[in-house]
Amino acid sequence: MRRLRAVFMRLAGSFGRSRRDRELAEELEAHIEMHVEDGMRSGLTEEDARRRAVARLGGVEPTRELWRDRRGFPWIQELRQDLRYAARTLRRSPGFTAVTVATLALGIGGATAIFTVVHGVLLSAPPFRDADRLVAVWEENAERPGHSNVVAPANFIRWGERQSVFSGMTALYDWRVSLTGRSQPVELVAQSVTSNFFTTLGVSPVLGRGFLPEEGPDGRDGFAVLGYGTWQRLFGADPSVVGRTIVLNGQPVVVIGVAPRDFGFFLKTGSLVGKPPDIWLPFSFSAKSREPRGRYMSAFARLRDGVTLAQARSRMRGVAASLTAELPRFDTGWTVRLIPIREEISGEMAPALRVLSGAVAFLLLIVCVNVANLLLARGMSRRHEMAIRTALGADRARVVRQLLTESLALAALGGAAGFALARAAVAVLVKISPVDPAALARVRLGAPVVAFSILVSVATAVVCGLAPAFEGSRGALADTLKAGLRAIGGNARARRLRQVLVVAEVALAAVLLVGAGLMLRSLGRITRVDPGFDPRGILTGRVTLHGKQYNEDERALAFFRNAVERARSIPGVRAAGVVSFLPFAGMGAATDFTIVGEPAPGPGQEPTTDVRVCDDGYFQTMRIPLRKGRLFEDREMRVKSDVVVVSEAFARKFFPRGDAIGRRVKIDMSDEPSATEIVGIVGDVHHDGLIAEARPIAYWPHPQLVYSAMTLTVRTDGDPARLAGDLERAVQSADKDQPVSEIRSMEQWIATSLARSRFSSTLLAVFAALALLLAAVGIYGVMSYVVGQRRSEIGIRLALGATEESVLRMVVAGGARLVLTGVLIGIPAAVLLSRFLAALLYETSSTDPATIAAVAGALGGVAVAASWVPAWRASRVAPVEALRGS
Amino acid sequence: MGDKVDVWQGTLALMVLKTLQAMGPLHGYGIARRIEQISGDELSVNYGTLYPALLRLEQEGFVASSWGVSSNNRRARFYRLTRAGQRQVLRETGEWRKTTAILARFLEAGEGRS
Repeated sequence: MRRLRAVFMRLAGSFGRSRRDRELAEELEAHIEMHVEDGMRSGLTEEDARRRAVARLGGVEPTRELWRDRRGFPWIQELRQDLRYAARTLRRSPGFTAVTVATLALGIGGATAIFTVVHGVLLSAPPFRDADRLVAVWEENAERPGHSNVVAPANFIRWGERQSVFSGMTALYDWRVSLTGRSQPVELVAQSVTSNFFTTLGVSPVLGRGFLPEEGPDGRDGFAVLGYGTWQRLFGADPSVVGRTIVLNGQPVVVIGVAPRDFGFFLKTGSLVGKPPDIWLPFSFSAKSREPRGRYMSAFARLRDGVTLAQARSRMRGVAASLTAELPRFDTGWTVRLIPIREEISGEMAPALRVLSGAVAFLLLIVCVNVANLLLARGMSRRHEMAIRTALGADRARVVRQLLTESLALAALGGAAGFALARAAVAVLVKISPVDPAALARVRLGAPVVAFSILVSVATAVVCGLAPAFEGSRGALADTLKAGLRAIGGNARARRLRQVLVVAEVALAAVLLVGAGLMLRSLGRITRVDPGFDPRGILTGRVTLHGKQYNEDERALAFFRNAVERARSIPGVRAAGVVSFLPFAGMGAATDFTIVGEPAPGPGQEPTTDVRVCDDGYFQTMRIPLRKGRLFEDREMRVKSDVVVVSEAFARKFFPRGDAIGRRVKIDMSDEPSATEIVGIVGDVHHDGLIAEARPIAYWPHPQLVYSAMTLTVRTDGDPARLAGDLERAVQSADKDQPVSEIRSMEQWIATSLARSRFSSTLLAVFAALALLLAAVGIYGVMSYVVGQRRSEIGIRLALGATEESVLRMVVAGGARLVLTGVLIGIPAAVLLSRFLAALLYETSSTDPATIAAVAGALGGVAVAASWVPAWRASRVAPVEALRGS
Repeated sequence: MGDKVDVWQGTLALMVLKTLQAMGPLHGYGIARRIEQISGDELSVNYGTLYPALLRLEQEGFVASSWGVSSNNRRARFYRLTRAGQRQVLRETGEWRKTTAILARFLEAGEGRS
């Protein structure tokens, strides 16, 4: 206790000059005066008495010094002294300070920004109770191993009855509902969830309650939990909303709760809508749900205490096998796939983030090397100062400590600037990031991020400062002083060190450049993929019919025919059409089918196809080419005529002999599918993105299967965005209460699908560009320094008849040699490391020779450019002046 | 700060505390003189070392100080023992007695054998 008290007192005593310091002078003065008086009383002269008193005290100044050492902690005082000194010297060279701080800010800021995202997405726990015990439960087909497939209610119900590894299982599907009874109808994304949804995830509503068990299986619906954002946006954050009745799809629904703010439970995988939910509705399985039909749900479960993920996986696979035995036609080839929820949420972003973390670490290393280089150069010009300090009694450790304090001060400034930079960068990153909002909900600059940036700053200071500090404090004192500013031996060593640093910097930059080059090349290849249609000039808008008047299929069909007709008559529109699932805009329907006249395939062997419902105009608008046969006739778009148009992939895969036209297929989209005749073959379309495979697609005319939610497409020659208002008006002239949502051009949809690749390649390219810039600065610095060192030598050469050109060549060659060494080290390292990029690359080898050659060329160019100025300056040396300078 | 100083500081601290216990509040010069008087010529150190020792005792809370007036009407800083200081004197005195007793026995035994 006493010791602790003393430590605190001393810590306090280390800062500021207290009254107590001033009072010590007075106290010592009193001490001496009393001693003098005593001395005089015993017969000494005042002079003698005073001398004796001071001597007995041991001197006034030494006493004060001893006292001060006890007052605070000497090392803190030394540190303060060093800091003050550092501040003074840094202020005196503002150019050096600015460049160094800016460089450090880039490195620390970049690292902090990436760490913020990594921490939010990969490291921090999702906002559920015991999130690490939650798993997503998918089905998995033997034909597509590693692919998460949505779940069939029939299987979900049976899993629940047979499993013993989960303490709770919940299932959901999302759809669109319209909220009416307000001035304007609003379309909301609803997640229909089993009643134990909130309890299984361990989330309590901030207002009201979650669903009760009787609001589930027994089918007592008519209740809703609002999303926090919905509550804020549509209900003005009014707490009295709980208990109020709202109108959803024309039905009264009672609001029973509001979900917490950061609970935006949404995974793109398995979502039909592709957007986070606005509202939750209770969902109940009916007796019919047990019948093995389509797969369309997402399922989540909480592991029972003591059950490991591996155990759960193997037990659930056993359960799946028992289902295959029971439902061979439906479940052969299907098993269960468990993914931890954390992995599921960050899954999309994890590989890119890992690569970006690596890249930013490289950038930080380059920054360190560059700053070390700057400090070394500065250390050279301060050798004299250090020698004098040593001569005045500072030991080497003291000088090293002082130099390290200087780099610490620089890193602190750089860290502060870097943190500000990271704040801005994170805002941009979140804005341009392509991933789910759920994954980014926890990206914020909290305490862990602050701690990280401080840690990085200190580490940077030590890494950059250590070598220069030792180099700067080194050396025979006498030599340095004797040699004046040109201590030859020490300079040679420092020059070697600086050259090594430049080589390291070039090597690091080469790695980053190769990485960025590969990513950009891959992105270029992706964007050149033909989607199977011509996206230019196409505007799309989604129409979801709500209301009783469209309960009859005839009405819905008539509405869409009418809307397309009106859209086609918009001035400037070349073609218009309608489709059930637009490519690049989310999931689509897919199902099994059988070919009439062929033997029935074994269980699990049924061919599957994507199913689209559209009109003739859709093919024209999208410019999906007709390869064979014909498209739909006018009559077929009015009445159910049992015809189908299939894609090339469909024809190739299922009719390899080329006899598809005229054959009939039974596609299982209803209980009693009728056989439809193949009348035409059209070109393939990539539905899930440019790099996704073009799956077989069957196109039905709309009457074959009536959807009440369709997407309108129109083609124009000009900018499609200008037609947005016209499209909305065309729809509303068919029904004035009908909203049009997601009005976007086809090119926008494609850009969105590329966002992820673009995000990581853009960031990597930015890092690589910074690395190249820093490398150029490093080369320039070293070459300038080398030229400065060799001024007299160059002067002699010129005096002896060397041409300016030969001097120029000599210096540039020196720079090129450094870069060549760096490239020779960096390229093999890049080839080794780029394997980690492979997962992010599309049809691009991680050792793509063109990329590597381009990187080597770019670095060579930068080397020549960065050496050119110093070289040119060297060639202008006037021989006499250079000689005199020595 | 070597071991020697530490040892000295330990003993000096006890001397200071004991002096304050015996004499009541006293200024630095007074404490120094009193220690010198009692120890005779055998302890001859700089008075200056007293002040860091006093500061330390103050930081540890064993003494407190305030300005006062000396017997010859001079403004001086007076140190006095706190209650924690009183307890510390007792504790330290006991420990010193034990240490010196052990050491004495040890030295006698050593002499006897030689």
